[in-house]
Amino acid sequence: MTVFLASIGFGLVTAAVLAIASVGFTLQFGVTDVLNLAYGAIMIAGAFIAYAVNQAGTSVWLGLAVAVAACSAGSVLLNSGVYTPFQRRGTSPITMVIVSLGMTLIIEFSVQAIAGGTGVSYTMGQGRTFHLGGLILTTVQLVIIALSLVIMAGVHTLLRYTRLGKAMRATAANKNLARNCGIRTSRVITITWALTGGLCGLAGVVFAMDSGSFDPTSTDVFLVLILAAVFLGGPGQAYGAMLGAAVIGIATEVSAAFIPADYKYVAAFVVLLLMLGVRPAGLLGARA
Amino acid sequence: MKFRTLAAVLAAALAVGMSACGSSGSSTGTSTGKSSGPTGSTLTIADVAPFTGPDAALGPTYLATCYGATMAINNAGGVLGHKLACKTVDTRGDPADAVPAVNQLFATTSSLALVIGCTSDEAASVVPIINGHKMAMFCMTGQSEFDHVVFPYFYRLVPPDLEESYAMVAIAQELHYKRIALAFGNDIGSQTFIQPAIGALKKAGITLTTNQTLDLKASTFRTEAEAIIQSHPDAIMTEALGNADPTLFAEVKQLNGGKMIPIVATSAAISPPFFKAAAAAVGASTFASDFRADNLVTETSGPAYQAFSAALLAEQGKVPGATGNFTTYLSAPGGVHLYDGINLAALAMIMSKSTSPSVYAPDMITIGNGVPGATVVHSFAQGAAALKAGKTIRYEGPGGPTSFDSYHDSTGIFQVDTYSASGAVNVVGNLTADQLRALSG
Amino acid sequence: MFYVINLLIYAGVDAMACLGLSQQFGVAGVTNFGFIIFQAAGGYTAAILALPPKSANGGFQSYIGGWSLPFPVPWIGAAIVGGLIALPFTFLVGRRLRGDFAAVGLLVTAVLLNLLATNYVPLLNGDSGLSLIPQPLQGEYSPQSTGYQWAFVAVALLLAAGVFLFVRRITESPYGRTLRAMRDNDVVADSLGKNLLSLRTGMLVLGGAIAGLSGGVLVSYITTWSPAAWGYAETVVLFAAVIIGGAGNHVGAVLGAVLVPVGFEEVTRFIPTSNNLPPNLIPSLEWVAIGLLIVGFLWFRPQGVLPERKRVIALPPGEGKSAPDATLASVWERPRPPASRPAPAGPGEVVLEAAGLVRDFGGVRAVDDVSLQVRRGTLTGLIGPNGAGKSTVLAMLAGTLPASAGKVIYRGQDVTGVPAFRRARLGLVRTFQLASEFKRLTVMENLLSAVPGNRGDSLRGAIAGKRYWKRDEAAAIARAQVILRRFGLEGVANSYAGDLSGGQRRLVEIMRALMTEPSMLLLDEPMAGVHPNLARRIGNELVALCNEGMTILMVEHELAIMDEFCDPVIVMAEGAVLAEGTMQQLRGRSEVVEAYLVG
Repeated sequence: MTVFLASIGFGLVTAAVLAIASVGFTLQFGVTDVLNLAYGAIMIAGAFIAYAVNQAGTSVWLGLAVAVAACSAGSVLLNSGVYTPFQRRGTSPITMVIVSLGMTLIIEFSVQAIAGGTGVSYTMGQGRTFHLGGLILTTVQLVIIALSLVIMAGVHTLLRYTRLGKAMRATAANKNLARNCGIRTSRVITITWALTGGLCGLAGVVFAMDSGSFDPTSTDVFLVLILAAVFLGGPGQAYGAMLGAAVIGIATEVSAAFIPADYKYVAAFVVLLLMLGVRPAGLLGARA
Repeated sequence: MKFRTLAAVLAAALAVGMSACGSSGSSTGTSTGKSSGPTGSTLTIADVAPFTGPDAALGPTYLATCYGATMAINNAGGVLGHKLACKTVDTRGDPADAVPAVNQLFATTSSLALVIGCTSDEAASVVPIINGHKMAMFCMTGQSEFDHVVFPYFYRLVPPDLEESYAMVAIAQELHYKRIALAFGNDIGSQTFIQPAIGALKKAGITLTTNQTLDLKASTFRTEAEAIIQSHPDAIMTEALGNADPTLFAEVKQLNGGKMIPIVATSAAISPPFFKAAAAAVGASTFASDFRADNLVTETSGPAYQAFSAALLAEQGKVPGATGNFTTYLSAPGGVHLYDGINLAALAMIMSKSTSPSVYAPDMITIGNGVPGATVVHSFAQGAAALKAGKTIRYEGPGGPTSFDSYHDSTGIFQVDTYSASGAVNVVGNLTADQLRALSG
Repeated sequence: MFYVINLLIYAGVDAMACLGLSQQFGVAGVTNFGFIIFQAAGGYTAAILALPPKSANGGFQSYIGGWSLPFPVPWIGAAIVGGLIALPFTFLVGRRLRGDFAAVGLLVTAVLLNLLATNYVPLLNGDSGLSLIPQPLQGEYSPQSTGYQWAFVAVALLLAAGVFLFVRRITESPYGRTLRAMRDNDVVADSLGKNLLSLRTGMLVLGGAIAGLSGGVLVSYITTWSPAAWGYAETVVLFAAVIIGGAGNHVGAVLGAVLVPVGFEEVTRFIPTSNNLPPNLIPSLEWVAIGLLIVGFLWFRPQGVLPERKRVIALPPGEGKSAPDATLASVWERPRPPASRPAPAGPGEVVLEAAGLVRDFGGVRAVDDVSLQVRRGTLTGLIGPNGAGKSTVLAMLAGTLPASAGKVIYRGQDVTGVPAFRRARLGLVRTFQLASEFKRLTVMENLLSAVPGNRGDSLRGAIAGKRYWKRDEAAAIARAQVILRRFGLEGVANSYAGDLSGGQRRLVEIMRALMTEPSMLLLDEPMAGVHPNLARRIGNELVALCNEGMTILMVEHELAIMDEFCDPVIVMAEGAVLAEGTMQQLRGRSEVVEAYLVG
C-alpha cells in the first residue's frame, strides 16, 4: 500500500513535467495545425544548454533561464523558417509530420554530435526529502510541482483574461475568420511559438532535473507520453493537455506498482491508440 | 523495361561493391595502415564491437587493450618479422548492421590475423561469418548459446552469464545477506542473468524480496526504487546499463532517506564510464562505500600484472574514444582477457611459424593449458625469448592460468571487486569453483 | 567479395521493402509509419518456422513455434503473416482519421510492439532475439560456400524483380488509378463510389505481405533477428529512401533503396576515423544528414529523383458520334448495367426526398428540420444567402456528412445510414464546391477513374492483368472521349488536371460526375467563379441532360442562374426551408426578398 501511495507522489512529479510540456505542444498545434514532433528534440537541447551553463560553474537554475530563452528563439525560428513556408505551399498534414521528423533528426543528433552519447547529470542538490502522508518528495520535486501549477495558472489567465489569449483562441479556432476580424494572426502565431518554445525549454530542463541522468535520446519515449496526454485531452485544448498530463503522469507511475515495471509506459501507449481510434478529438474536444 | 531496371540495380550495387574491394586496408582507424605482403608488413587485429549506439563504451575499451598489447609486442620485436596494428569495426550494436561491417572487414583487410570483441549485441550474427572465414576470434559474449555449439575458431576467456549469476549469489552468501532484491535491465546482456540468479538464490536459501525489470529507455525508476525499499532487502543485485543504474541508485538513495542500499553488480560495472556516471549520480564516496561486483580473477601484482599495467598505462590518452582512468581497465574484463588473448595468439604464431589461424590456433590451446614441463611465462617478451631458446611454454597473464575446455571456453575463478572513491578498483575476496557448483541448477 | 554479396542481398531486401512502402505511400497515399512492424513480423515468422524446438542448441532461447520447417515454407509464412498483421491496423488507417494523427498512431504502435517484444521474453526471446536460425537448404548445401552465397543473391534479386513486376501490374491497372485518385483526394474518391476502407485495407495487407517477405529473406541471410534491428530508426530510413527516390514511381523506390539504406549507410564505413574525433561523431552527423536530406528533398524536389510518370492514354481516332448529336444516354448503352441500381424512375416521380433533416455542429444548429422533394427530369435549384445551410443539406443528401436527425430517401429506399460511396454506386453522385479534381491524374484519368463496374477496378482484376480488363477499359475510354468532345476539352485530355484553368477544372468535375452514370446529380455551386459565358454553356448542358432523363439538384446563390435554368427552386435561409416554387413565384414572396436583402 505504501508503494502505491508513494507512486502517486511520483506520478505527480511526472505529471507536473508532462503538464508543462503538453500545454506547450498542444498550443502549438492549436494555432498552427502542425504536430511538432521535433518538440522532444528541442526539450533535450534545452536540457543540454542548461547543462553547459551548469558545467561552466553556475547554478543550474540560471541555466534554466538561458535554456528557456534559447528554446523560445529556436522554436520561433523553426516555425517561421520551416513549418510556415511548407504550409504556405499547401503541404499536406502527413507531409508536415515527415518534415517534423526530419527536423527531429537534425536537432537531436546535432546535440548528440556536440555533447556525445553518454549520460550526464546536473550538479545540483536535491534538497531534503519530505514525507507527506505517504508521498515522498524532495525539495526540487516540490519546486517542480509548484512551478507547474504556477504555469498552469498563468496559461489559464492568459487564455481567459488577456487580449492576446483571446486572439490565440480565435486564431486556433478559425484562422481566416480571426484574420477577417482584424486579428494580426501572424503576430499571434509568432508570439505563441515564442511562449510555447519557452515552455518547451523549461520542460526539458525540468525533465532533466527529474531524471537521475540523461543523454540526447532521453526524450524519445517522453514525446510519446506528451502525445498521449495531448490526445487524451484533445489536440489544441490547453485544459485538455493539463488533464491528460495528470492522468498519464499518475497512471504510468502507479501502474509500475502493480505490473512489471518495464511495462509501465504501455498504459500510456494504449491510451493514445485508443483515443486516436475511438475519439480523436479528445475528452475535452468538440465532437466532429 | 524490366531488364533495364534489373541491370541498373545490379550495376549500382556492383559499383558500390567494387569500390569497397578496391579501397585499401587503411579505411578505418589503423595506426599504421599497410596492406599485407611478405615479411616486414603489418598484421591487423580487428576490434569488432559497438562504437556507437547504447553500448558505445565497449568498442573503445577493447581498443585500448589492443593498443597496449600490440605496442608491447612490437617493442619486443613483433611476430615473425611483422608488426601488429589495430583496426576498428563498428557493429553499431545491432546484428543486422554488424553483418556488412564484418563482411567489409574481410573484404578490405588481407593482413587480418585475429579478431577481438564480438559482444552479446552482435555475436550471434557475426561469429558464424568470422568462423566461416577461418579467422580466430576472442569474444566477449557471455551468451550461453556458445557454451556448447561448435565453432572451431571461437575462443572465449570470459565466463558465460550463467556463471556470473552464480558468482553474484555467492558474493551475497559470503556477506551473509538474507534478503536480495533484483533490478535488471530489459536488454540482451542483462535479461540472461535473471532466471539463473533466481534459481541460485533459492538454492542458497536467500529470500528474493522483489524482482524489478527496468526499461532502459525510461528516465525515472522511482516507483521501482520505492518498491525495492519497501521490500527491505539487505542488498540489490543489479545490471542495467546506460543511464539506468546511475538513475536507480540516485533515486534509491533519495527515497531511502539519503542512505544507499548495498549493491552487488556484474563485471560490466567494472568500467570507467560506469563509475563516472554512478559517482555523478550519488557521490563517489557514497557509491564506493557499499558496492561489490563479481569479476574473473585477475592478478594485481607480480610479473604478469606489471607487464600488463606498463603496457596499458603507456597508452593513456592515445586511444581515440577511450577516456577515463586507464587503471580501471586493468581489472576490466575487456582489458585483461583480451590482452591475454592477443598474447596467446602472438605466441602461438611464433610457435607454429605461421600467421594463418588454421595453423596457429591449436597452439593457443597448447600454450594456454600448458603441457607438463613447460616453462611458465608472464608476458609476450618472456614467451618469445623462451620459444627462441627452444623451450615449450605456458602463458599465464594477468587473467591467471587458462584452462580451455573442448569448446574453447576457459572460465577461470571469480574474485570480488570494489571501487575506491577515486575510481580505482580493489580486490577484496575470492570465490572458488566449488562455491559456484553448489549454486548451479 | 562476400561484402559485395552482402550489399547485393541487402539491396534486394531493401528494394522489396521500399517497393511495398512506395505502393502504400506513393501510390495509394496510405502513410504507414508502422511499416517496419511488418518486416519484423515476417522476419520473426520465418525464424520460428525454421528454428528447431526451443530446447535445441542448449535450450537457451525461449520462443513460440520452432517447427523446423524446410525452405521455402518460412518465406511463404513470412509473407502471409506480414499481410495478416496488417488487418488490425485498418482501424487506425481506414477510418476518417486525419492523416497526421494516423501517422502518429502507427509510429507509436511500432514503438509499443518493439517494447513488448523486448520485454516479454518467452515470446520471441526478448532483447536477445532469435539466433542460430537455419538457412534455406543448409542440410544439403554449405551456406558458407561461394556458390551458395551467389545463389542466395540471385534468389533475392529475382524476388525483388518479381515484387517490382507485381506492384507495377497493380499500379498500371484501373485499380491502380483508383488508388492514385484516393491518394490525391480521398473525400472525392469516396463520393465517386470508391470504397476507401476496402482499398486501404487491401494496400495495407499487400504492403504488409511484401514487407514480411523482405523480412524473411533478410533473416535467412543473417541468421539472427532481434528488436534492435527493427526500431523507429529503420522506418525513418525507409521513408527517406522512398521520398528521395521518388514516391509513386517504382523504379524510384528501387533507386531510393540503393541510395539510402545501402549506399548512404555503407559509405560512412569508408570515412577514415581520426584519432582526435570522438567515435560517435560520424554516426550522429549521419543522422543529421538524413534529416537534412528529408527536409531538403521535400522542399526542393518533393517528387523525388524519379518523379511519378504521366500516364498518357492514346485516344482512338474520331469516328461517327460527334459532339452535338450524340446523346449521353446513347453512349451509356452497355451489355451489363450496374447491378445495384433500382429501376429507372418514371417522369415526375420523386427521385430524392429529405424528411426532417437536422444537422448540429457543436452548439450550432446549421440545418433545422429541412424537408424537400426532387422530381425526375428537373433541374431543381437550392438557393439561399451565405450561411443558409445549403451546402450542408447537399452534403447530407450525398452522405458526405451524417445527419444529426431526419431521413434521406432515394428512389423509395431509406439511405440515411448508407455511406457516400454506396450512394454513389446507387446512382446518387455529388460534386464539390472547392477544387476537387485529382491533381496528379490527367484529365482522361480523372474521367476514367469515375467509371463504375470496370473489371480492372478491383485487386483481383488488377492481378489478373491487362488482358482481363482491356475491353472494359477501351469502352470506358470511348465514353470518355464522347464526353470530352461534347464539352470541348478533348485537346487537354492528357494534361494533368491540376494544370488546367479554373473553368476547365469545373468542367472536368462535371464530366467526371457524368462518367459515373448517375441517375441523380447533386451539384455544389458548379458555376462559382466561372466566366459567365462558360457558366451559360454549363447551364445549357445541364438542361439538356435533364431533358434526357437526368435529375439534378443544384446549389447556387446567384439569382440570375436560377432564373435562367432552374425550375423548381427551393429557398433556404438560416438553416430552414423558406419557400419553394418557380423563380417568378418566389420573387413575389416578400420573405424571400427580405432574406436576400437582409440575410
